[in-house]
Amino acid sequence: MKPVIKKMLGSSFIGALASPLSVDDYLGLIDRRLSVREPRGRVVSAVRQTADSVTLKIEPNDNWQGHHAGQHLLLGVDLAGVRHSRCYSVASAANEPLIEITVKRNGNGRVSNFLVDQAARGQLVYLSHAEGDFCPDTRPPAKALLLSAGSGITPVMGVLRHWAAGGDLTDVVFVHYARSRADMIYAQEIEDLAARHEGLRIVCVFTAEGGARIDDATLDANVPDLAEREVWLCGPSGFMDAAESLIAARTREPIHREQFAASRREAAHGEGAVQFLKSGLAASGDDGSLLEIAENAGLKPAYGCRMGICHACKCRVAEGTVRDLRNNRVREVRDTDIQLCIHAAAGDVAIEL
Amino acid sequence: MGRPTHLTDADVAEFGRELDTIRDEVMSDLGERDARYIHSVLRTQRSSEVAGRALLMAGILPPAWLAGTALLSLSKILENMEIGHNVMHGQWDWMNDPALDSGTYEWDNTCPSSQWKHSHNYVHHTFTNIVDLDRDLGYTLLRMSEDQPWEPRFIVQPGIAMVLAAWFQWGVALHDLEWERIGKDKTWSEVGSQASLIWAKVRKQLLKDYILFPALAGPMAPFVLTGNYSANLTRNIWTFLIIFCGHFTDEVEMFDEAEATNETRGQWYLRQLLGSSNLTGSVPFHILSGHLSYQIEHHLFPDMPSHRYRDIAPRVQAICERYGINYNTGPLTRQFGGVVKRILRMSLPHRRKHNTLTEQSTVHTPVYAEAA
Repeated sequence: MKPVIKKMLGSSFIGALASPLSVDDYLGLIDRRLSVREPRGRVVSAVRQTADSVTLKIEPNDNWQGHHAGQHLLLGVDLAGVRHSRCYSVASAANEPLIEITVKRNGNGRVSNFLVDQAARGQLVYLSHAEGDFCPDTRPPAKALLLSAGSGITPVMGVLRHWAAGGDLTDVVFVHYARSRADMIYAQEIEDLAARHEGLRIVCVFTAEGGARIDDATLDANVPDLAEREVWLCGPSGFMDAAESLIAARTREPIHREQFAASRREAAHGEGAVQFLKSGLAASGDDGSLLEIAENAGLKPAYGCRMGICHACKCRVAEGTVRDLRNNRVREVRDTDIQLCIHAAAGDVAIEL
Repeated sequence: MGRPTHLTDADVAEFGRELDTIRDEVMSDLGERDARYIHSVLRTQRSSEVAGRALLMAGILPPAWLAGTALLSLSKILENMEIGHNVMHGQWDWMNDPALDSGTYEWDNTCPSSQWKHSHNYVHHTFTNIVDLDRDLGYTLLRMSEDQPWEPRFIVQPGIAMVLAAWFQWGVALHDLEWERIGKDKTWSEVGSQASLIWAKVRKQLLKDYILFPALAGPMAPFVLTGNYSANLTRNIWTFLIIFCGHFTDEVEMFDEAEATNETRGQWYLRQLLGSSNLTGSVPFHILSGHLSYQIEHHLFPDMPSHRYRDIAPRVQAICERYGINYNTGPLTRQFGGVVKRILRMSLPHRRKHNTLTEQSTVHTPVYAEAA
């Protein structure tokens, strides 16, 4: 959008004409990607490098403010009428015009399966601004170790491409764990990078072909000078926990771990415990509806009919297992608004109250 | 008063379960086709608004003024009825779309959404048709039930009703002030904070329709102004018509507080059903009415996406036949005729009339054991 038009559309005069709707509501008549403030994009290409992954290149609108190497964003897609959002690392270098992400099939996960199977050119996606501080400095340290497993290669790819573009691959060791080369995303590009840059040493461990899971022996054999290397770590949480304890025992250099900002928060432990995130309170989930539990804990949530009709008590649940008191159905919810008066805790529940 | 006396407690419980089943089936089936429906309504509303306002800019030509006003009226009616009212009921919250979120949606009339959600979603839908609790019974301006005591001011209520119809969005905007409670259990400062919210909304609406768009039209300003006013008037009258047909037709039942206390789910469904009436018509008619032509289904399931009421109405009607419950429906002319008669009848002090329902009803089992 031309800057002058953008400025005009964001003005309070135009806002007053559109009121109480937003200018975006009218822009949507032309193209849903257009927005005055919201970053959105369309898929330009979808390449399936491996059997259960897809690499998407997304053209963002001009509300996308760019990213630093290793950052991630929250990507939203409309599936069967419902908007779902998931975090993905940005694998493209900071100065590239298109955003590249790679999605790996995550069990029965709705969004990952949809993207891997059906994402195609033209797909509208909702974006967030880039978040995370996986790699806060633009230049690498003198000696670096990048350690990843499975889809954890994506932020590492972003960092590697950034360092390569800056001519900074002086002494970087990259150790990656995958099932096999056929399952390794970016395998070819990594090999090309290593061929072109002397300072980059690649070690791939293929666990389906006899390679062992991460342990002392592998680390010592492949990275003897670990004590001098700053470490970047990304992969499934089990992998990261195991790796981090091994590494921390060997080096006092900083260890960067990729944590998605919108990832699972610490849910209260114990049977059916209810946690109120904004007030820092916790209560047992045994007795009554979530509304009653909140009131007994001293909170004053909004309410109305107290019978599931008026939606006044709707509240955001960050994560939890709830039972609908009307039909006794139990379901797991994540980042969802639910009516407190007709739901009870069926496990741990974390509420934004 | 209201309840059918031929049903046992077990009957009512089973009746409730059958309705619960319908609700569960529909709510677990929501998906792509529902999303496509609401998006097409949004597109229609927005493009007709843009086209209407653009045509009014050439409003010196009568065809342009008429077409522009008609399109703008259409967009306001769609936005208030099919979109705004339904979005605020939470009917489209399942989509996770911030533009259709009942928590944040602001609709295109002078009434602040937060106050509407209180007076409508909570008060009206919880205390439906309970005299003295449901403030929609006459909106404190009209006497709509024999159980409301007569006062001399009601003699002129036919005139009041006409004024209310022409200015309906203002009646709605002021409705949640609950002026009858001021000095009793409502303080002036509560009124003050509500009033500033109302003024903030009113200001934006007046600015848009009566200052900014006319100003944008330059020499055509008078035509834009009259066009916008006429569109607002058209929307007011249409919404008044549809809404008054929902609970004030001939056979609708009112309830007193005692019989509505400690209701079971089945009894709640029964009160919602007996207190509401439907309108028959074409699909475009239903959409224009925001599917409030399915007032019965809407009161049974306020947070079900509105277009689904069309699908479930035959099933609800069949259940009513089996249980011998009156399912009140009819064309707009007949139903509104009943509303007019009620307004006229209630304007005079009135003793309970003979129950003529058993003569009029098409249901074989008498709905009431004795005169209401």
